[in-house]
Amino acid sequence: MTVSRRAFMKGLAAGAAGLTTPAMVFGEGAHSPAATVPHRPMGKTGLDVSIIGLGGFHLGSARDQPTANDIVARALDAGINFFDNAWDYHDGLSETRLGDALAGKRDRAIVMTKVCTHGRDAKVAMQMLDESLRRLRTDHIDVWQIHEVIYDNDPDLIFAPGGAAEALVQAKQQGKVRFVGFTGHKDPSIHLRMLERGFPFDTVQMPLNCLDATFRSFEQHVLPEANRRGLAVFGMKSLGGSGEIVKYGAATPDEALRYAMSLPVATTISGMESPDVLAQNLAIATSFTPMTGDEMRALRERCRPLAADGRFELFKTTKIYDGAVGRQQHHFPPPEKLPA
Amino acid sequence: MPPTVPTLQSTVPVTQPAIPQRPFGRHHDVTISALGFGGHHLGDAPDEQTAVRLVHEAVDAGITFFDNCWEYRRGKTETLMGKGLAGLRDRVFLMTKVCTHGREARLGLEMLGESLRRLRTDHLDLWQVHGVCFENDPELFIRPNGAAEALLKAKRDGMVRFVGFTGHKDPAIHLAMLATGFPFDSVQMPLNAFDASFRSFETQVLPELVKRGIAPLGMKPLGGHGDPILEGVVTAEEALRYAMSLPVATTITGIDKLDVLYQNIGIAQNFQPMSPSEMQALRDRVRPDAADGHFELYKLSLKFDNPEARLAHGFPIDDQQSEVKDMLKATANTGHPFPPIQ
Repeated sequence: MTVSRRAFMKGLAAGAAGLTTPAMVFGEGAHSPAATVPHRPMGKTGLDVSIIGLGGFHLGSARDQPTANDIVARALDAGINFFDNAWDYHDGLSETRLGDALAGKRDRAIVMTKVCTHGRDAKVAMQMLDESLRRLRTDHIDVWQIHEVIYDNDPDLIFAPGGAAEALVQAKQQGKVRFVGFTGHKDPSIHLRMLERGFPFDTVQMPLNCLDATFRSFEQHVLPEANRRGLAVFGMKSLGGSGEIVKYGAATPDEALRYAMSLPVATTISGMESPDVLAQNLAIATSFTPMTGDEMRALRERCRPLAADGRFELFKTTKIYDGAVGRQQHHFPPPEKLPA
Repeated sequence: MPPTVPTLQSTVPVTQPAIPQRPFGRHHDVTISALGFGGHHLGDAPDEQTAVRLVHEAVDAGITFFDNCWEYRRGKTETLMGKGLAGLRDRVFLMTKVCTHGREARLGLEMLGESLRRLRTDHLDLWQVHGVCFENDPELFIRPNGAAEALLKAKRDGMVRFVGFTGHKDPAIHLAMLATGFPFDSVQMPLNAFDASFRSFETQVLPELVKRGIAPLGMKPLGGHGDPILEGVVTAEEALRYAMSLPVATTITGIDKLDVLYQNIGIAQNFQPMSPSEMQALRDRVRPDAADGHFELYKLSLKFDNPEARLAHGFPIDDQQSEVKDMLKATANTGHPFPPIQ
């Protein structure tokens, strides 16, 4: 993970906290203790997954391990069973924190983590897998995804002889992972080229929100194709990556999250670095009723003029969300040598 | 000021082969030079005398396609080209662009009047919608009272012969413009060996234009500012030859100095199309450098946005951001609201 991204995310998290109004925070008891988060089938995997998943990056941003333990325990108790992570989040801290927090509770969770080869070969991937297993204190990962598929030549590199795709097959054969997929935040055409390879992916992760619907849209271009192929879809960046959609008033947290969860996805991954944010998300998820087609269309149309230059989806339009390691591995100039 | 009598003493030997001429899309009776003279860089010429001389020598060498735009350098480049073309108007195919950026037809027609005055002519050969770069541009263009109506009226009134549009951002936006069903005669877009494997106009838009008989106009053959040449990834000749070997009507390139003009004329006069295997080899060679777009920042960076266009769309301009500072600097714009038409 890059220093620049970490610094950036931290800055935005602080900014977001400053903007949180009492009305946005749902305290303990704001939802009935009996209410639980609904579940859905996870593609063709046979698993059922909670409609909201706990984002792993923000677990590394939580204050400390006890806070992380508290977030994970409360999430599990409320019915959240999907836990996202990545080998490179906070240089391994996010995985370590999740591993510790799930000690004794591993069986209740669908654990997903990501491998960060960035174009390197299957051997590097298998080493990363062993590290992830150790940090997560488990003998198997439920979902293992290729991280940050964001460059136009990534499909070529991943499917080259000896490339990361071979590691996915190998890891599955060895029983170290149950299901495999990939993720990226940049461009629907790159996702489509990954799918066109015909590799038996079980899952795919992508940004899905009410602005994406009209700007370089994963919703329009990738989601139908993933559904047609029976893949489990994990939505992310429901609030624009760092809350931009909410912060700049394009939509309320409730509208934005409900929109994302109303799409034909298995789960929507959301970062929750504090019990307060978890409580807010739980209130939305436990009382979730899908938006109607008309409601979704109205929200898309309302957001359309704001979406058209991509300023609230900076992961598509700038380098801010692209890891430095990935750039280095691709022999691209470092982010600081480029416009944002 | 009395019209200057063009001096047509060329330093290019007359024995040189001619610059190839190609048909303008489905209008087979109209031909344009395979190399086009980019208007923006005319504003970089050290003085008016040099700018006028560049135009004269280009015409004399057989360049007939001249590009310009209402908003380049606040009208300076249209004025310079008008001076350079005085007495030569009939020998060229003159294009300029209209900068409504989503605003109404009436404004477009006012801009046309200004362009004609500056260019010292009563008609344009080609008038294109400039800077189609935002996802909602196609719907703003085709809406009732949008710029599409200005294009039709200008054509009907004989002020322009042909109409088209241009943009540097995203092939999907170009395709959405085509999907409006408007009868475009030409479409301009970035075409170079890097584009071929990154958000590619070559693979997504060019075949569609060829199919519809719309004249494709290539731009940014050297990546916009020549970065891949300065960094030694491709040579100027390779880059220009690649772009000119595509099925385009012309390749527009910026010319701000006499030696650049001579170099480009030389490449165009001696032009031999690359073979398909040569083109494939070049695409493959630059593919790893192309995949993050760092040689095609016009597809990525706010720096290549246009502040006037952002204001016209109601998009914010954060003048504290480094890319926005570059954008404002590049367009010599102060960030003040769009100036009224005089």
